[in-house]
Amino acid sequence: MTAPSFERFLLLSVDLTAFEETDLLGTGMAHKYLAKVRAACGDEAVTALLDAHRAARADAAGPAGNRARTPLDRDVFDRALRHRIFCDDRLGPVARNVIKLWYAGMWYALPPEWTDRYGTCTAAGTSTVTAAAYQEGLLWRAIGANPPGAKAPGYGSWSKPPRIAERYLKGASR
Amino acid sequence: MYAKFPKGAAKRTDPEAAAEVLYDAVVVGGGISGALVALRLSDAGKRVLLLEAGPAEDLTLRGYEGYLDRFYSAIGKDNQAPYPAVANAPMPRGTDARRITPGAPDASAYIVQNGPLATDTTYTRVLGGTTMHWEGKTLRMLPEDFRMRTLYGQGADWPLTYEDLAPFYTEAEREIGVSADVEDQAYLGITFDEDYVFPMKGLPLSYLDRTVAKDVDGMPVELDGERRELRVRPFPQGRNGIPNPAYDGGRGYVPRGAVSAYQVEVGERCQGNNNCVPICPVQAKYNAGKTLALALQSGRVDLVAQAVAHKVHVDESTHRVTEIEYRRYDRPDSPGFTTMRARGRLFVLAANAVENPRLMLASGLHGSSGLMGRNFMDHAYLLAWALLPEVAGTFRGTICTGGIADLRGGSFRSRQAAFTVDIHNDGWGWARGAPMTDLMSLVDSGGRYGESLRQGLVDRVSRQLQLAFMVEVPADPSNRITVSPDFTDHLGNMRPVLTYNVPEYTMRGVAYARQLSRRIFARLGAEDHTAYDPDFWGYAVHEGVGYEIRGGNHLAGTHVMGSDPSTSVVDADQRCWDHENLYMVGGGSMPTVGTSNVTLTLAALCLRSARAMLAQLDSETAPIDVTHDGRPVPSATEEAAVR
Repeated sequence: MTAPSFERFLLLSVDLTAFEETDLLGTGMAHKYLAKVRAACGDEAVTALLDAHRAARADAAGPAGNRARTPLDRDVFDRALRHRIFCDDRLGPVARNVIKLWYAGMWYALPPEWTDRYGTCTAAGTSTVTAAAYQEGLLWRAIGANPPGAKAPGYGSWSKPPRIAERYLKGASR
Repeated sequence: MYAKFPKGAAKRTDPEAAAEVLYDAVVVGGGISGALVALRLSDAGKRVLLLEAGPAEDLTLRGYEGYLDRFYSAIGKDNQAPYPAVANAPMPRGTDARRITPGAPDASAYIVQNGPLATDTTYTRVLGGTTMHWEGKTLRMLPEDFRMRTLYGQGADWPLTYEDLAPFYTEAEREIGVSADVEDQAYLGITFDEDYVFPMKGLPLSYLDRTVAKDVDGMPVELDGERRELRVRPFPQGRNGIPNPAYDGGRGYVPRGAVSAYQVEVGERCQGNNNCVPICPVQAKYNAGKTLALALQSGRVDLVAQAVAHKVHVDESTHRVTEIEYRRYDRPDSPGFTTMRARGRLFVLAANAVENPRLMLASGLHGSSGLMGRNFMDHAYLLAWALLPEVAGTFRGTICTGGIADLRGGSFRSRQAAFTVDIHNDGWGWARGAPMTDLMSLVDSGGRYGESLRQGLVDRVSRQLQLAFMVEVPADPSNRITVSPDFTDHLGNMRPVLTYNVPEYTMRGVAYARQLSRRIFARLGAEDHTAYDPDFWGYAVHEGVGYEIRGGNHLAGTHVMGSDPSTSVVDADQRCWDHENLYMVGGGSMPTVGTSNVTLTLAALCLRSARAMLAQLDSETAPIDVTHDGRPVPSATEEAAVR
């Protein structure tokens, strides 16, 4: 079996996090995260996840031969991800963990029913990947804040409105 | 100005040699109290031995960044996360708290909790003490807090008034480096000298504070027949802001930077790291290391670390303290130790309101009033949390920039406890572990990923409002620290045993706080998500309604000061009634905690006591001689030696 491809892991990560490839690469964590997922889940599970992701993209790509990354049919793609990955006993927990890894910078232990069925790898327990991972969590960027204790935004910046993209403000605004 | 920590100062004192020196003062504890006393005494030419229970390297930037790295890497980021756990000088952790079954003390963590109510109260046993992890709020107490018995028939009166302490508040605000504006802080009787300005200008309110203020400012509240209007007010902060050029009669103020053994460009203005607790990554926040560094520069302060005070020895006829026996452990991770002694003319216990009485009681010194360890106080925190109708950019700023202080005082205090209300810039973090718990639930049970996750996080996290009601707890002799030979630590030191319950008076304040939170949320149009879990370790029921009560780490009251030796442990100078050369300093001396975080007040008390110590040292020109009849014997050579 060939090792899971970094490019495909990155593309999966873009779809799962809604952050651009440049943002993800910019964290400096992408290679470490792939290594972490492989160490915690095993290559077989990671490869299966990447394959399912590729299949989901193909489902949403429309006519055969359309190799452009966009446009995808978003509704079809969403359904395909739910059907092929999120509801899958093996792939669902791994995919959710990949999301949390990117957002929190932390690998959370897989649920016991997963490890019972698919085996425990040595690195399966809850752990921080590196001290930098916490600081690179996407969660903080999503809410327009800095990771507490790092990337300080500067004196008085807290008195200004948050830098959150306009498109996310609509639902809550009064 | 950065505070230079003299190279090698943490290791230069040989404990063997120190045992042969008769110091002017032996200080137990390298936190803010001990640091301030050491600074003032050494400034006056006195020789001081400082004993620190935790390990100490020189306070360097690299060492500080080691704390920071430990914090970044920690899976759980509680208020002790950056600091190494040392079995020889263990410290309580907020995560230790467990529900207590009546009759079964919880001895699983360092503080043995007897209940009936469990608390998550903590303190940090490293050089710099709990100011390493403190939030840095520096409210003065109200004048009425000093006269609670006379005015409201509750708690105790102090042997000091606000006016007595005011000059030392000013001094403490200089030492700590407080950022605030007088016009925001002069309320409910708090007065300042004419033309006084704080060392630095007030930190701006957060966008979240301002969002709340839009609706809350002007909100009428009637309590005990008194009508008042609430407003969101900035808190004074022990962290660096913009120096006020008008300070000190126009001489201005130079902020203290990071403690380091070399010049560094950190420790300047607060950068909004939103991480005051458990560690300010840039040392904009005051920590006692800044004061220790100055004290050590004098060359008259010797520091011995890994030195856990074991017993206070007292002369049987004079009751003066003759020496402090301490256990100096060789390595943080192994139980080997050497018994050492420290001798001085004065002894100052500055180990905090749990460790001070613990040491005295472990030494068999219960105090003639029987009050040693009694009247333990903290603040009882009630949290209430809601979602604002608009995105308020929660999770930015210092942990807390503003809140509501209008219910800190008033005639209602004859019936129920007063409180200060904090608006938490870290959202529901304290109550419910936000934002990580929000992330988990959105992903694991909300089926969110990609854009819908990003939208969900903004909706769920950036609108969070958490109000923390810091409710006064009056002195109650049955809330107490005791010791028992059944419970010892690795070095054989007896551990503190805490018996604690929140009095009805406080619970009435808690119940009122919850009501008020509902009104505030309604006025804001916020969705109230507050729900108190009956399985929570600090769950307390009052009039049929349950609340989650948390501790504030505002330890106080265990060696209360007073003007009558039969009802207090120390006098207004924090000198023990029973031992004329022993001072017990810090929060333990406070007869009431009011609605202020205790550090500023205990710092002011220590600065005041330092004068009394100097006066005593000057009046008692002789060292004590314990080898003969125990009476002080004048000795000109000793006196000359310390000058």
